Amino acid sequence: MNTRIIVKLDAKPPYIVKPVHFEGLRKMGVPQELGEKYYEQGADEIMYIDIVSSLYQRDIIFEEIEKVASKLFIPFGVGGGVKTIEDFSKLFHIGADKVIINTHAVQENPDIINQAAEIFGRQAVVVNIEAKDWGNWWECYTDCGRIRSGKSVLEWVKEVEERGAGEILLQSVDKDGRQRGFDLELSKKVVESVSIPVVIASGAGKLEDIKEVIEYAKPSGIAIASLLHYDKLTVKEIKDYLRNNGIEVSK
Amino acid sequence: MNVKYKNSKKLYNLPDEVKFCKKCVMSNQRPRIFFDKDGICNACRHFESKSNNKIDWNEREKLLIETLDKHRKNDGSYDVLVPSSGGKDSMYVAHVLKYKYNMNPLTVTWAPNAYTDIGFKNFQAQMKAGFDNILISPSDIVNRKLTKISFEQKGDPFVPFVMGQIFSPMRMAIMHKIPLVFYGENGDVEYGGSSNDIPFYKLEDQIIDDYILDFYPEEIKKYGISENELYNYSPPSKEAAHDIGVECHFWSYYQKWMPQSNYYYCVENTDFMPNPKGRSDCTYSTYASLDDKIDPFHHYLSLMKFGYARATGDAAHEVREELITRDEAVSLVRRFDAEFPSSEAYKYFLEYCDITEQYFWDVMDSWRSDHLWTKENGIWKLKYQVTNGVN
Repeated sequence: MNTRIIVKLDAKPPYIVKPVHFEGLRKMGVPQELGEKYYEQGADEIMYIDIVSSLYQRDIIFEEIEKVASKLFIPFGVGGGVKTIEDFSKLFHIGADKVIINTHAVQENPDIINQAAEIFGRQAVVVNIEAKDWGNWWECYTDCGRIRSGKSVLEWVKEVEERGAGEILLQSVDKDGRQRGFDLELSKKVVESVSIPVVIASGAGKLEDIKEVIEYAKPSGIAIASLLHYDKLTVKEIKDYLRNNGIEVSK
Repeated sequence: MNVKYKNSKKLYNLPDEVKFCKKCVMSNQRPRIFFDKDGICNACRHFESKSNNKIDWNEREKLLIETLDKHRKNDGSYDVLVPSSGGKDSMYVAHVLKYKYNMNPLTVTWAPNAYTDIGFKNFQAQMKAGFDNILISPSDIVNRKLTKISFEQKGDPFVPFVMGQIFSPMRMAIMHKIPLVFYGENGDVEYGGSSNDIPFYKLEDQIIDDYILDFYPEEIKKYGISENELYNYSPPSKEAAHDIGVECHFWSYYQKWMPQSNYYYCVENTDFMPNPKGRSDCTYSTYASLDDKIDPFHHYLSLMKFGYARATGDAAHEVREELITRDEAVSLVRRFDAEFPSSEAYKYFLEYCDITEQYFWDVMDSWRSDHLWTKENGIWKLKYQVTNGVN
């Protein structure tokens, strides 16, 4: 099985930004241009998340998403501020292949996962996790790594799988943007807890970090942001390296 | 009510009519702030003046290097003192002084009233990043009493902390014969208050004798605090400051002050961490004022007196830095600004000051400004909060 190399775009429309530990809004570029750039570099998928929509309690800005979608010919996941079945529906209509949800499902209405999976199919529902390491457990955070939920990540991932989620995007508040390696234990535990695909994000700082987490946790995919935004590496270089190290990736 | 009404409006000379800056979200109730005829605050105007190429930053850097070269020692002794908490701003200034400009800084930390776990970790991150540090921790008995007095008498539990924070590094500068002191920002100029953007002031010109005794002579007697116990809260002598020639410089004069850039610098170059608990009480941000367990009450009293608090301050500077729009700032302020601190913080504060809930609320109400608050069905409500429309 190929390990998917996914590019994560943290959006604060009209820009793509890159926080560290989910804090900070440093501008990285324009969504459409970055989407196109990473598609051309050979990304297997793009995940676009409006990181401030829930925090600012505002509606989804569909125009920006539509512009990115129009330039992509690979799976496109979209999230940020998703609250209703209508939001799912609209996002699919403008070109999303998957919809990513966190805050509303965690804090308000987990049933939306069941409803969305029933209507749109489980492959279309991705649950985003913002995990905080507390030493002996991991807690789900929401609103761009700012609000605690009291929910355990390892219990929540099982629950969302039962509810019909088709995929997990696993981010770490402790590792996000720091480029000092992934949360390996968390990654492994989440992959082992569920049978749906898990995409691991937060921590890639060098090629070895990516290889290490793939070998250790055996996820379905890896999501990368800072390394690419700061032009330290390209998607192609990452894939070439992994292939040369015995990890299967798509061409 | 057992506690005498303080009349914040009169004390701080607050305007009758509440207005919010049309550019950021700051309130005209901020003491000393000034709004121009277009309804823009002087902090925004100051930021514009820095952004529109009106300041030659290369020239300012030359001035900075001249200042540093004048004080540079190269004999192993400290040549600059950085009053620092281990927060992103002081850590940034110390780090750049040492690693970019090759100075030999001494960092001096005045301990918070009560360290949070993350505050203490970030304090230690300073030494991990290669700095020598002197930590000055006051007597907990005296500090708690002063904090309680200040909470009631000044409407801000942080006054004694601020005194120690100002005076103790100054005393260290004198003791270690380091005439050059570097602060981060000139707060009044950057966040609204004064428009006097100066590179530095001479310490001897700022020293007022008997500072703390002037503030609360009766209470200090009542609580049995002796003059000897006020050492850390009192200024060093004018003569000593003059003899050493202590100059207090502002980094924000020499380089465009961008708190978010300081954050990125620190997470890239040191072990600095934002709040692991997510956003701090009463705001959305996770990277500022993390080190003191009673910090939320400094902000909550601002809400009582001035009708705005922590989220407003955070959002205002992020608007100026063009990180968020005014509309976004308004959403954040409306969501978080008037929040009461967490029950954990509340419990801790009562215990720290050794006060009852009844006394706590009596003091809060004694500082509540009549022109900003109204009681509806037994619940206090702010009369004015910033909105998307023009206020």
